[in-house]
Amino acid sequence: MNEPGLLRRFVATPRFVLVVIIVLLVAVLVAVKPSFLNGTFVIAPLLTSIAVFTVVGLAQMMVLSIGHMNIAVGQMAAFGAMVSGITFDLAGWPLVAGIAAGLVAGAAIGALTGWIIARTGVNSFIVTLAMSFALLGLVPTIYSSLSAGSAFTTKPAGFDLLGRGSFADVCLVGWCGPAAIPLIVVPVALVMVLVAVLFTKTRVGRELLLTGASVKAAELSGIPTGRRIVLAHALSGALAALAGILLATSIGSFTPSIGDEFMLQSFVGPILGGTLLAGGYVSVVGTFLGITLTLVIRKGLELFGVGIETLNVLLGVILLVALSADRVREVRLRRGRTPDASGAATPEREEVAA
Amino acid sequence: MTTTPLLEAIGLSKSFPGVKALDGVNLRLAPGSVHALLGENGAGKSTLIKALTGVHRPDAGSIVVAGREQRFADPAAARAAGIGVVHQERNVIRSFTVGENIVMERMPRSAGRIDWSKVRGEAAACLALLDVDLDPATPITELSSAQMQLVEIARALYTETRVLLLDEPTASISGAESDRLFRVVDRLRDDGRAVLFVSHKLEEVYAHCDTVTVLRDGESVLESQPLAEHAHDEIVDTMVGRSLGSLTVPTRSAPRDVAPALELDGVTTTAGHHDVSLAVRPGEILGLYGLVGAGRTELAHAIVGLERITAGELRIDGSPARIRSVRQALQRHRLGYVTENRKEEGVFLEQSITRNIAVTVWSSLARGTGLVSGRREREVVSRYVDDLDIRISSLNQLAGRLSGGNQQKVSLAKWLAASPRILIIDEPTVGIDLRTKRAFYELIWRLADEGLAILLISSDLAEMITLADRVAVMDRFAITGEVENDHDYDSMSREVIRLIHADADAL
Amino acid sequence: MNRSVSALLRSQSATLIAIVVVGTVLLGIASQGDLFSPVGLRTFFQFLAVPILIGLAQMITVAVGQLNLAVGAIGGVAAALSAVLMADVGVPPLLGALVPLVVGALAGLGNGLLVMLTRINGFIVTLATMTILLGAQYALVGTRTVSASNWEPLAAVGKATVAGIPVIFFAAVAVAVVVALAFRFTLTGRQLLASGDNPEAARLAGISNDRSVVVAHTASGLLCGVAALVSLASLPGVNQSVGGDWLLPSFAAPIIGGVALTGGTVAVLGTVLAATVVRLVDTARAEFQLAPAWVNFVIGAVVLGTVALDRVRQVRAERRRGALRAAGPQNVTPVEATR
Repeated sequence: MNEPGLLRRFVATPRFVLVVIIVLLVAVLVAVKPSFLNGTFVIAPLLTSIAVFTVVGLAQMMVLSIGHMNIAVGQMAAFGAMVSGITFDLAGWPLVAGIAAGLVAGAAIGALTGWIIARTGVNSFIVTLAMSFALLGLVPTIYSSLSAGSAFTTKPAGFDLLGRGSFADVCLVGWCGPAAIPLIVVPVALVMVLVAVLFTKTRVGRELLLTGASVKAAELSGIPTGRRIVLAHALSGALAALAGILLATSIGSFTPSIGDEFMLQSFVGPILGGTLLAGGYVSVVGTFLGITLTLVIRKGLELFGVGIETLNVLLGVILLVALSADRVREVRLRRGRTPDASGAATPEREEVAA
Repeated sequence: MTTTPLLEAIGLSKSFPGVKALDGVNLRLAPGSVHALLGENGAGKSTLIKALTGVHRPDAGSIVVAGREQRFADPAAARAAGIGVVHQERNVIRSFTVGENIVMERMPRSAGRIDWSKVRGEAAACLALLDVDLDPATPITELSSAQMQLVEIARALYTETRVLLLDEPTASISGAESDRLFRVVDRLRDDGRAVLFVSHKLEEVYAHCDTVTVLRDGESVLESQPLAEHAHDEIVDTMVGRSLGSLTVPTRSAPRDVAPALELDGVTTTAGHHDVSLAVRPGEILGLYGLVGAGRTELAHAIVGLERITAGELRIDGSPARIRSVRQALQRHRLGYVTENRKEEGVFLEQSITRNIAVTVWSSLARGTGLVSGRREREVVSRYVDDLDIRISSLNQLAGRLSGGNQQKVSLAKWLAASPRILIIDEPTVGIDLRTKRAFYELIWRLADEGLAILLISSDLAEMITLADRVAVMDRFAITGEVENDHDYDSMSREVIRLIHADADAL
Repeated sequence: MNRSVSALLRSQSATLIAIVVVGTVLLGIASQGDLFSPVGLRTFFQFLAVPILIGLAQMITVAVGQLNLAVGAIGGVAAALSAVLMADVGVPPLLGALVPLVVGALAGLGNGLLVMLTRINGFIVTLATMTILLGAQYALVGTRTVSASNWEPLAAVGKATVAGIPVIFFAAVAVAVVVALAFRFTLTGRQLLASGDNPEAARLAGISNDRSVVVAHTASGLLCGVAALVSLASLPGVNQSVGGDWLLPSFAAPIIGGVALTGGTVAVLGTVLAATVVRLVDTARAEFQLAPAWVNFVIGAVVLGTVALDRVRQVRAERRRGALRAAGPQNVTPVEATR
């Protein structure tokens, strides 16, 4: 086996391109606006949002792995966060128990979604779209009926430390960490490792990817595709909930608007990072880098006082450009494979067939 | 014969990555003739038809229509040149009526808008011409496959068509229906048009065709010859080629006194099988022969739980078994199913060889921890890659980059890795070259000798007669009979064909 | 003729008509006749025009097997640009009324061309253009609301009624009729359906699927433009929220109305009726003073129910065919020979 070296293989991936772009961008930003390096006021908030949105991206990546999509990622985040908020606010649960409850709630709603998709065979777009609206109706209603100001504000012990603390709060023998790195990166790094292990080392992760590559072939190879679909959506729901909860800890309260801006980001991150829309290939590091790039751009624009609308336009353009690259990659993957090219001229129907 | 051919292919070649599908094919269709296009599965017949009708663009060679060289940019250009085609797969618009499906290529309009009464009228006239009794207002989904095919023929004839290409039109229809089809074909010949006719049924071909072209591995080995000058056996030899003749069929003594490993007893399924019984013993190859659409693959699906068995019993090693999924079949009964359609069902084209083969062994590799050791995974995969002589550049190579034969080996290796005791193999050699085919045959014999019970599904009669110990014949979702294989092509093929048509003749 | 009547009765439309009738009666009773008061009727139909139009806009893309996430963003930009042109640049209202239509059609054309040229999945293309257009809408109107006083002649049309029913509702119905006729009587309409139903068969029959996709997106964009025009005429002003809540209703109407998600069919009447049902739900919500969020919940649940039910019916039908084959082998020819 004549495998190319690890480094050479990395250079050939979209991830390498992302790293280069991010480094260049940061260099330019620092050169033009040295205030970009302000630890507490620029870097720490940036890292916090990178952490939160990386989890959002992973939530979407989870269903992209099986070739599905989750339009309800933001609403599932809102739902999971709401459940955590209720346990803190009304039941007085400690931090870890409340977060666990939120994750379970997110997983449950995701599992329900996956179950509907697996049982009915209706495409994931429609089911998650409908689910997003059902939750969009449910969540604010519950908030307004259970809390006075449509927000849960009780903070159990450790809540602020998780969301707003930094390594400056962690001191060992008189030496404290840098204030520029928020503590929230710790659980997120852990989640990234877990997801990466899932896809690279475990049977279930491999089976998820093969289900994404071809449901039919997967079923005929003895993979319980129905259960894998439910699992992917459950994990997506749990990760979305985690992102919602982390966002709540960083802003200090639980509100119905958590997750509102998750959907677009959730697609941009994985896709920029090289995750195939069609399923069968994911990249945890790529998702992280994709999210990082978009948020660095956002921060940069903020520093220059450019409005949010420009960012939106830019994100849309980046998505289209990245996707064209994704398409080129897919075509390259497919080349040299189908003796029957007759389907090549038909319009893409993946969004329905997926 | 000095008449200008209506359609002529000269030195037509077409390659797909890894496969030379057509290699300098010549073909002449004379006016007022019915021309048979014969060849084994994967010989290039459908590709030739697609190359002639603008679906595929030929790499080399030329197409001449009534004396004028043509290059078809798309199917519409071929239609405009007067070439009509009915492909092997049904191409209908399911949300349209019969009538609209017929006239859709040239919708009758008046004052710029579609004239629906004309749609019905012209479609009805077209159907009447074919002697088909169908109401044009019927939704097409209410039709059987055979009726849909007639609708497609009507569509091909609706616009000015001088040449009609029919790709296996009789593969899935009954005797009565093919009689009607041939009346249409005869009428077209009398009109001075040309018909190209693809079929596996040689009796039919001799009864209705005038000239013949035989394809083998993408080459025209017999080119536009008068059919009457070539005897049945000679045609078969030309199709199969002498190379396979040199394959020595081993004298196998299939065990008779052992209890069956896989047994169906009066099985009725949700797919529509009724009262199907058969038994495969360890070390035995049972062939399941039938035409396309006879329900063979569906029977395999019912065995592995993709269709439900509603009556009768499935027994494994003598005890009743309930299989609900391929996973259960594998894990509880060590039964593997090598699927028919390798590109969609057999391999994951965009995944590595390792993942493609290891998929069946992950559960055992990951027992307890859920973790799969990459090293052990590669060990297992390498063993089968070597054993089946799969030609790859690396274990990380994508399966889609392999040739058809190697993909099929990957598909088989996946199941062998799970060390099954019962193996259902569905159309293993469609579209793969002769050398690989022979390797496959030897492999299947070896597996049987190692004690596997093998249910072999094939629509290639020669393959069946070469490989199987016994041949069960299926027609319209029922078993019409079983023949002990004496490996004599003539007597076997006669017997099997008789069983297939036994049912149809009773109509 | 009889055939089409019985087909109608079996279709989703019959169910929907029944729901509309029963819902209207119940709501009429619950509101003690308020629903049928002049104000009640006017409000009901005034806010039905946009849902019908965006439902049709989505239906057209679904018919070719595509979808359009940008319905709201196209409508929003179209309305915002027109408003800004009339208010700040002084474009006369008559000309200003054309702007949304042109913008809508161009945006749709852009979507179609992007899908065609890049072969990227339509979901992502429209997601990206949605973001871009939302940015553009914000850039145009920012946080302000451009008052309708800048286009009084248009606003007058928006308020006009005939027999107590707003003119804009009639306009929406007229558009629906045009769409229905186009799918029934034009070659392009039939080609769109063929491409959506079976692209391969369509291609073999000489139909350009690329063209179908581009035409469908353009038409969809145009209808979003019409919806934008209606919003312009009927709303007190235009701000960045116009179009923001169009996405789900645009999918809900065709799905509940019986349009197959896999493409190849349209149901104009069904879509209009489904939009009406959604409107009834909204009216009921207002009547019982529930939080607006409930409407989302109900629609989401109904959409889920509809698609699930549809699927169950399909599976049943397949099972039945199999059973038929098993029962009468001599009479039934194998159905699926295309393996």
